[in-house]
Amino acid sequence: MKFSNSFKTAIIGLKTNKTRSALTILGIVIGISSVILMMSLGDGAQNLILGQIMSMGPNNVYVEPGAFTTGGGGDMTQQVMEGMEIKTLTLKDMKAIEDDPLVEMVAPMVVSVGRVIYKNNDEKVTLFGTTPAYNEITNSRTILGSDFTDFDVQSMSKVVVLGYKIKEDLFENEDPIGKIIRIKQTNFRIIGVMEEQGTQMFMNLDEYVYIPITTVQKFLLGINHVQSSAVKIVNQGQIDEAVESIRLLLRERHNIYNPEGDLSKDDFKVVSGKETADLMNTVTSILSLLLSSVAAIALVVGGIGIMNIMLVSVVERTREIGLRKAVGARKKDILYQFLIEAMVLTGLGGILGILLGAILSYLVSIVLTMALGIKWEFVLSLSSIIIAFGVATGIGLIFGIYPARKAARLSPIDALRYE
Amino acid sequence: MIEIENLKKIYRNDSVETPALQGVSFKIAQGEFVSIMGPSGSGKSTLMHIMCFLDRPSSGICKFEGKSIDNFNDDELARIRNKKMGFVFQSYNLLSRTTVFDNVRLPLIYTGFSKEKEYKMTKQALELVGILHRASHFPNQLSGGEQQKTAIARAIVNHPSVIFADEPTGNLDSKSGQQIMDIFQKLNNQGHTIILVTHEKYTAEMAKRIIALKDGKIVNDELVNLRHYAKDGLIK
Repeated sequence: MKFSNSFKTAIIGLKTNKTRSALTILGIVIGISSVILMMSLGDGAQNLILGQIMSMGPNNVYVEPGAFTTGGGGDMTQQVMEGMEIKTLTLKDMKAIEDDPLVEMVAPMVVSVGRVIYKNNDEKVTLFGTTPAYNEITNSRTILGSDFTDFDVQSMSKVVVLGYKIKEDLFENEDPIGKIIRIKQTNFRIIGVMEEQGTQMFMNLDEYVYIPITTVQKFLLGINHVQSSAVKIVNQGQIDEAVESIRLLLRERHNIYNPEGDLSKDDFKVVSGKETADLMNTVTSILSLLLSSVAAIALVVGGIGIMNIMLVSVVERTREIGLRKAVGARKKDILYQFLIEAMVLTGLGGILGILLGAILSYLVSIVLTMALGIKWEFVLSLSSIIIAFGVATGIGLIFGIYPARKAARLSPIDALRYE
Repeated sequence: MIEIENLKKIYRNDSVETPALQGVSFKIAQGEFVSIMGPSGSGKSTLMHIMCFLDRPSSGICKFEGKSIDNFNDDELARIRNKKMGFVFQSYNLLSRTTVFDNVRLPLIYTGFSKEKEYKMTKQALELVGILHRASHFPNQLSGGEQQKTAIARAIVNHPSVIFADEPTGNLDSKSGQQIMDIFQKLNNQGHTIILVTHEKYTAEMAKRIIALKDGKIVNDELVNLRHYAKDGLIK
């Protein structure tokens, strides 16, 4: 028997019981649409997180104080706190790193929060102390005035560059350049305004106030150490070598004897943006997979529904099977007929489920964008569509094979006699 | 064409053995019109099922066109049934949501002809039994007689060498039954071999030869002396 005939026969069989076919399909539709939704949300989360990491520059290397915690209870907050508390990294270390031939430039950073006061307005901001190298590494520019210089850093000048939103909030249309603002009872002169930058690692850069690092260390925080630093490598192909070179340098400077290169013995960590991206990639992939697995349970339930209906169908059509066998249908002809019928059911359910899942994912992306105030992209990858459709027809195959075999094995005599 | 020798069939059910055929032997030649007659339980249906390769004997020889049933597997038997045999059942066995045309075409989809050839053969068969005008109807829109004509068209669509009919008039009124028997007699005149299972003596006597069964044995096998012709009308 030709495939087109099997297909036609299957369609007629399904049309005969429209309500039943529709209800059976519903199980698959729900299952597939939840899988699509979960995959889309997973992909969306991944894009969001990776986008944030990439915005920091995937080819940069970050040097932070504190040892590499492997398992053993170092959660995110704890690590951030460590970065603020551990005082081992200094500007001198940074200078030494900058002298490494593999390194192009280093931007040390200290971060704090505080209020900016201008006339009667004040605003809560992130105080960000760094060097001019930071803007070069992150490729950001001022739209008004100019950035502070290395001389400002050396001389601990009390100058600031405002983030875009702070300028908008405090000055509106007024020109802020040359104006004086107060931060922690200290006067600062505004010398520039940054372009609009959006969020990076879930921080709104437009709410930052950029100040020479030495000024922040001395006048605002009263510390001598560096909390973090971004390092730009001369040759992007040599990131791994550069990371290793920086580690050796810091071990020597900090008198750490660590010939095996055991990262947990160091009092600093050197990570590349790419490594972080890879790590986050793995995490979100696992998350995505977990969510999809939960949704897949719905699919299995749908599959059992298919099997149930196909079994009923085989019993109802016993005489038909007997007749087909009597006039020359072989076992495999009957097997294919019922298998194709099951696969048409699940395939149809798959298509409807993909459509429904896509619509749901789109709605969820809109809701998330509005609720979280971040740009949550609607992602529907071709691979997830193909996987969903493949899984749907696969379920037809798996759960259809038992009823189909049962039908194919019927003896024609018994089937014809069946009342 | 058909050779049956010392054929036995025993049904086993929970260690209880029920003999249905107890050593049956006969031969049927090309072009014959044979009635297999007997009361219910005589084994006539069992005999027909074995002759038409739907069932296998417990012992004995059953040959069709010189080929023994024992030499083929189920799929090969299905192939032989498809190409060489036609079936007409008491309860028509038409597919209910399928048109008359597609019902008649059914055996051909398992043969593997081209679509054009399938359509041509189906049309011929419908024409032969005089039901072409009903081709696009569904079985439930037809009378019993028309349904059985559809079944006969399905039986002859593949130009089989033998047609098996199991109580073809059993569910019909006498006038429809008469029409059906007329078709069988015409088909036989055109050279088709026909094997008819019936328990009605009058219907059986429309064949050329009657094999009478009782309790799984042949009690009589002779030519019909006074053959009835359906076109003359049925006397019941």
